[in-house]
Amino acid sequence: MTPTTEDTRPLRLMPREMRMMSERIFSLSAMPRGFALTLTDVPMLSEFLGLGGFVLLRDQMAVLLAAEPTAVQVVAESGAELTLDLAGQPAWVALHAICDLAAELVADHGQAQLTIRNAAHPAELAVAVLLAGRVGLGLTLTATPDGASITATPAPVADPAVEALNQTGQMLDPALWWQIYETARSALAPDTALSRRHAGVQIVNEDGTVIGRTDNDDDADVSFLARGARETA
Amino acid sequence: MTAAPTLRPADQVMQPASLAALQPGALSGARALIAKMTRENWQIRLERMDVGADSAGTILYSIKAPKQEFSFIAFTFPPRSEGRTGRIIGRAWDMMCSLIEGAATEADIETARVELPKLYRGRATPNTLVWGRSNRSMRVFNVTLEALMVGRQPEVDAISNVCYLMRNTGLDGNGTFGTRPYAALGPDHALGGMLEAQLLSAYLMRELSCDLISHLAKLHAPDTAVPLARELREYFGVGNGSALGLIFYVQKHPRLIDSWIRARETTIAAARGLAGAAVDWPGLEALLDRAIRFRTQDRMYYESFTSSAQIAADLTAIRDAIPAVQAEALPLDALVTRHQGKVSPEALEMLLSILMEQVPAVAAAQAGQIAGADKLELNAAETVADLLAEIERDYQWALGIDMQAPDALDYVWYKSETAEEPRRGLRREIPEARDLGLDLPGDIQRLRAALIAAPQDQRLSRFLMAAPGHRFLIARIHGLRGLAYHTPYANIHSGSFVPIDLVRLMNVGLHGIDKTKDFLQRNLRGILFHGAPSPDTIAAGDARQWFYPPEPQA
Repeated sequence: MTPTTEDTRPLRLMPREMRMMSERIFSLSAMPRGFALTLTDVPMLSEFLGLGGFVLLRDQMAVLLAAEPTAVQVVAESGAELTLDLAGQPAWVALHAICDLAAELVADHGQAQLTIRNAAHPAELAVAVLLAGRVGLGLTLTATPDGASITATPAPVADPAVEALNQTGQMLDPALWWQIYETARSALAPDTALSRRHAGVQIVNEDGTVIGRTDNDDDADVSFLARGARETA
Repeated sequence: MTAAPTLRPADQVMQPASLAALQPGALSGARALIAKMTRENWQIRLERMDVGADSAGTILYSIKAPKQEFSFIAFTFPPRSEGRTGRIIGRAWDMMCSLIEGAATEADIETARVELPKLYRGRATPNTLVWGRSNRSMRVFNVTLEALMVGRQPEVDAISNVCYLMRNTGLDGNGTFGTRPYAALGPDHALGGMLEAQLLSAYLMRELSCDLISHLAKLHAPDTAVPLARELREYFGVGNGSALGLIFYVQKHPRLIDSWIRARETTIAAARGLAGAAVDWPGLEALLDRAIRFRTQDRMYYESFTSSAQIAADLTAIRDAIPAVQAEALPLDALVTRHQGKVSPEALEMLLSILMEQVPAVAAAQAGQIAGADKLELNAAETVADLLAEIERDYQWALGIDMQAPDALDYVWYKSETAEEPRRGLRREIPEARDLGLDLPGDIQRLRAALIAAPQDQRLSRFLMAAPGHRFLIARIHGLRGLAYHTPYANIHSGSFVPIDLVRLMNVGLHGIDKTKDFLQRNLRGILFHGAPSPDTIAAGDARQWFYPPEPQA
């Protein structure tokens, strides 16, 4: 189905929808599911910071979905200082590692100094500031050509981005959003006649016979249930 | 006299079969909402009934809480059979509605009229809390309409195996379609509690169905029609169908699940500790009698659940034991322990729900505390040994599940591209489906193995750099630390898992739905607000016990 809206006014998206679409798109990736699920907020937070997370997701999708988080390595460390090499991986897949390492060093030394290098889309490293706030870390980030210099200190737990987004939502270009929506939809399963038997109070067989009680009061159009959406559209 | 209350242990409560036995009670959303609206004298008024004889039109209700006003905007349509189904993939609805904050303006109404039918392509206004849809029970609606048109009420026999005029077919909120997220409402919001906005919408569906049918009867037969009698208006609830999507809900909201079950267990424990003069014995006996009659009159057919006749017999046995407990000056706990294992689990849970009515202040306080933000953060400074010890202490249930059993991963949980309908099928039948269900026992067992293989003093920050796939689960474990009731002890992918167990937890326990009929071990059809008071009773603050309604007299 192609978008039907011709309205070009910005759309107001709430966190739930942005997260859901991101989750579905990341489920298409080669990354381990238990990691991909933790990236759900990242495009939304990037958008909140004005970095254009959903544009990046749309335009760099192949690169992002092929990312390898294990390529990110600590290449130098001494006391509270540490250098992280992203080996050309997208900044998004290193955000959690940055926060984790900062948490470890702050726990041990009271503060941390991280140097991030060799990142693709290095501006996106700024999202780490928002993620770190959720675990009680304050990050000060200075951008460098291929990364960032980050200072971490203890801070009150805070999630100002989601609090603000819950109140006002995020305005997005409708064309962009519906592209994201359609891509996310591709992560769902085709609606076939067989698949329709995997839910509902009755199972309508290929020959039209029905399995299950009929006292469901659904007044169901059985012929509708017997076809997949692609046959009924 | 009170005994020290104790909460039931998680390994008893969190078994799927135990969760499936929970019954509607004071902490169930529907009951808690009616109690709150009654305490606060909410005013609900039909403002507009602009509906023609063909059923097409616009209906508007205003809802006034002490400090806030809401509007329920509804559009009704002539019923059609094509594409009609109780499933969310349906394409025919008899009513679409929007619950918004504030007094509805014409602009609000017209925007809802344009946007609601677009559903997934539509956009709610910033003050919208819920979008909903409902369908008539064609048979009960028609038989009731025909009766009213000729000046009489419908026969009880004709309505009592359905008990509603309209059935909810979807209530979307919390950010969906641009609706306001509940996290944005805050504790002072009149509908800031658990599922309150959706449940108010469902209550208004009930009211709408009753007002609509009286209106249509009058239009069709102005000289002879009578309105639906109050007794029937209150007997009718709103139908509700639920299924597999609630398993995703349970997995996605573990903090809310824990919060609700803990509140319920706390209330139950307080009630079980009551004894002697602290117990309202006549009230207890009267409510048990009401419950026994309710179950005796129940005309629903249950595929695999305990029959209502059996539950009525069990409750009768419990009621007969009251004099002895009273005479021995024992706490109400004795009534429970004496029947544990001797009556059906549903009957015992019904007793516990009835006991909760003995401590209304505790129940109200606990209901007000139910919350569960979806925040699950990990502490990366902890060590592998810390996490391993935590898993071996708190997740024995998951470690004990046989994930090598032949049917351990037989089923896949997925969503259809049409209406995002949640489905569950044999993995071999739909190999292309992406599994959206969390394999918690399998993931916990794999995480434990990885932790055992890692240096024990390694920080989780370093462990996760090498094994990032464990991140979601570690955050879940850390985020739920100290909570006992967050996760059902189940492998949802197994061939032996019964989906309806957790659907019952949500529908019967959390939502408070009565007479839930089961279909194919995966779907429920039941009645929400069955017996709930009319708006004028709520406005008057009349806190009568409305649940377990008797059949109306013929």
